[in-house]
Amino acid sequence: MNLNYNEEQTMLREQIQKFCESEYDFYKREDIVKSSNDFDPNVWKLFADQGWLSMPFSEDSGGLGFGAIELSILFEEFGKALVIEPYLATVVLSGTLIDKSSYSNKKDIIDKICQGEKHISLAYAEVDKSYDYLTPNTSLDSDNILNGAKTLVLNASNADNLIVTCKKDNELNLVIMDSNAEGISINSYSTVDGQSCSEISFENVKLDASNILSSGDEAESLIKETINLATLCISAEAVGLMESCYHKTLEYTKGREQFGQPISNFQVLQHRMVDMFIESELAKSLLIKAMLEVNNGSEEMYKHVSALKSYIGKSGKLSAKEAVQLHGGMGVSEELMIGHYLKKMISIDALFGNADYHLKTFSS
Amino acid sequence: MDINFSKEDIAFRDEVRDWLANDYPKHVKDKTDNGIALTKQDMIDYHKAISKKGWMGYNWPVEYGGTGWSSTQLYIFNKEFGLAGCPPLLAFGVSMVAPVIWTFGNDEQKERFLPDILDFNTWWCQGYSEPGSGSDLASLKTKAVLDGDHYVVNGSKTWTTLAQNADWIFCLVRTDNSGIKQEGISFLLIDMKTPGIEVKPIITIDGEHEVNSVFFTDVKVPVENLVGEEGKGWTYAKFLLAHERFGIAGVGASMRQLNRLKDIISKLDNAELQKKVNELEVALSAIEITELRLLSALENGGHPGAESSILKIKGTEMQQNLSELFVEAAGEYALMYPGPHGYGSNEKPAGPDYAAEGLSGFLNLRKTSIYGGSNEIQKNILSKFVLGV
Repeated sequence: MNLNYNEEQTMLREQIQKFCESEYDFYKREDIVKSSNDFDPNVWKLFADQGWLSMPFSEDSGGLGFGAIELSILFEEFGKALVIEPYLATVVLSGTLIDKSSYSNKKDIIDKICQGEKHISLAYAEVDKSYDYLTPNTSLDSDNILNGAKTLVLNASNADNLIVTCKKDNELNLVIMDSNAEGISINSYSTVDGQSCSEISFENVKLDASNILSSGDEAESLIKETINLATLCISAEAVGLMESCYHKTLEYTKGREQFGQPISNFQVLQHRMVDMFIESELAKSLLIKAMLEVNNGSEEMYKHVSALKSYIGKSGKLSAKEAVQLHGGMGVSEELMIGHYLKKMISIDALFGNADYHLKTFSS
Repeated sequence: MDINFSKEDIAFRDEVRDWLANDYPKHVKDKTDNGIALTKQDMIDYHKAISKKGWMGYNWPVEYGGTGWSSTQLYIFNKEFGLAGCPPLLAFGVSMVAPVIWTFGNDEQKERFLPDILDFNTWWCQGYSEPGSGSDLASLKTKAVLDGDHYVVNGSKTWTTLAQNADWIFCLVRTDNSGIKQEGISFLLIDMKTPGIEVKPIITIDGEHEVNSVFFTDVKVPVENLVGEEGKGWTYAKFLLAHERFGIAGVGASMRQLNRLKDIISKLDNAELQKKVNELEVALSAIEITELRLLSALENGGHPGAESSILKIKGTEMQQNLSELFVEAAGEYALMYPGPHGYGSNEKPAGPDYAAEGLSGFLNLRKTSIYGGSNEIQKNILSKFVLGV
C-alpha cells in the first residue's frame, strides 16, 4: 500500500500552485469574473501551453493520458485559487466524453480543445428532470431534426459547439453541433460563483447523421461516466477549498487583534479551527478513495464518488460558513476570498446532486 | 400560569393586523414580497406610513410622543410585522440614538432631534465599529479634539449600515487617551453633510451595497452635539445595546419563512428536507416560548438579563438555517444567482421562484451572527453572567 502522490504528481501540483500564485491572484480573478466572457482567453492559452488542456485525453487522441488522480490534483488547486475558467465544461464534461466515444471526427475536436481553440458545452439537464440525465425529453426525429430545451448548461455563452442529450427511437443519443446553428436560442445567466450558465432551446434544428456523436448503450455509459468524473472534479475542488478556508482563517485569526491579543489565542476559536482542519483531512481521505476507484474504472466508483460528494456538500459548506464567521465582518465582504469560497461551495453542492441526493445514492 | 394573551392584547394584535392589511404601503409590499431591493424613497414611504399611524415611537415613553406600549404589545407589534413580511424597521434613529438622547441628552437636544426621528424626517446611522475595533469596541481610535466651540474629528468607522442614505450619524469617539480604554469615549451626533466626511461603499457577498466605510478628516462638530458628559460615552453605548436587543430573535419573520418553506417542501416529496423543516419548526417554537418567558418576567417587574443573549444566538441561527433550507430546496437551481436587483430586462430563468431569494437571504444573513455583538461574544456574556465562570 502507498497512499502518497508520486514525484510526477507532486510536481504537477507545484506547477499549478505556482501558476495560480503568479497568474491568478484574487484581483486577477475579480477582473475575469467582471468581464463579459466570464473567462480570460489569455489564461486559457496559458492552460494550453502548460499542457493542462490535454491532460485527461488518451495519447491516441493527442492527449497526455492522465487519469482521475491528476485531474483531482488540478481541481484541488483550482478550488484553492477559485479558478473560474471553463475547464469543467470544455475539457471534462465535453472533451473526455468525446475522447471516450467512437465518434469518427473526435481526433480533430480533441486536438482543437488541447490547443485552446475550441470551447464545447454539454447540455445534459432539463427542467423537471431533476438528476435524471438518461431520459431527456429533447428529441431527434427520423429526419434528424432536433426539438427541445436544456437548462443549466455551463459556459454555453462561450461555446463553439454544443453536445446535446436527446431521445431518438427511444434510445439516448448525443448530438454535437455548432452553437449558432439555426433554431438554437441561448439565454445566459451568472452563477452564484461567477461562472456563466444558460438555458437553451432547440426549435427544428436540422442535423444529419454526421452530428450524431453516440447512441444507445454507449451514449448512456458515456453520460454516466462523464457526470461521475465531473462530480469527482468539483468535489476535489471543494477539498482544495476546505483546506484554504482552514489555512486562511488560521492566518487571519493570528493577525487580528482584539482585547489586546490575537483572537487565535481564544480556545473557543482554536477548537473551531481544529474542526475545520479535521474535516478537511477527512474530505481528503474520501477524495483519495474516490479518485482511485475512478482511475481504475471499477464498478464501485459511482458509490465512492457519491460518498465524497455527500461528505463535502455538508462539511465543505460548514467549513466555508465557519471561515466567514471567524473572519467577522470581513468574511461577508466581496473584498476577501473567504466570502467567495462560500459562494463556490453553494455552487458545488448544487451541481450534479447535492449532499442529501448523493447520500441517498450512496446507500441505494 | 397562562400562556395566552389577554383580551386587550388580542385586540391590539387585530389592530396591527388591520393596519398591515390596509395601510402597509402597497408598492413596498409588492417589492418586498418579490424579493426586490427597496429604494431609499420606498424605505422613507414605509417609515412615514408607520409614523402617520403613531407607531414610530414603538418603544418610547408617552411623554416624548411614544406609544408607551407594554413589552407584550411591543412583542406583538414586532411579530405581526415579521409575519406579514415587512422589512425590519430601521433601528438607528428610533430605537438606538433616541433612547440615549431622551435619557442622557439635554432639553435642547431632545427638542431638536426627537420629533424628526418620530416623523422619520431624519435618517440616522451608527458610527461604532472601526477597522481595528469590532468585538472589542472599546478599543476604538476615532479621535475628537476640543477646539473652542467645536470638536475636530479624525478617524474612520466601518460596517456603517446605509450611511449612504443617512442625514446624521451617532458616533463613539475618543476624547481622552490617558485612562483605561472604556474611559475617554464620548458620544457625538454628527451631521453627515459636514465637510470632511467621506462615505465609501463596501459590497457584500450578496452583491448588495448595504454597508460602508465612513472616513472623517478634520470634521468640525459643534460642542452642543455632544450627548451627556464627555468621557461617559461607553456607559451610553452599553445602555443603547440593551435597547438594540428588542426583537433581535426575529420570531415573526422566521415564522413567515418557516410557513413558506413548509408549503414548498410539502410539494417536493423529499423526506430529507421534510425532516429538516420539521426540526426547524420545533426549534423555532422553543425560541418563541423562550422569548415569551423573558417577556413575562419583564411584565412582572423582572429584568431581561444576559438571557436575551440566548435569543440573539438562537434567533440568528434560525434565520440562517431557514434561508439555507430555501437554497437546498432549490436543488440545482441554487446555481443561478442574479444579485440583489433581480434579472432586470433579462428573461427569468427556469427553476423555482424562491431560488434567487433564498440565495440572497442565505448570503445576506451571514452577517446576523456577526453583528450586534457576535454570537461568540454572546456566549461569553452567558458564561460570565449566567454560568458565572
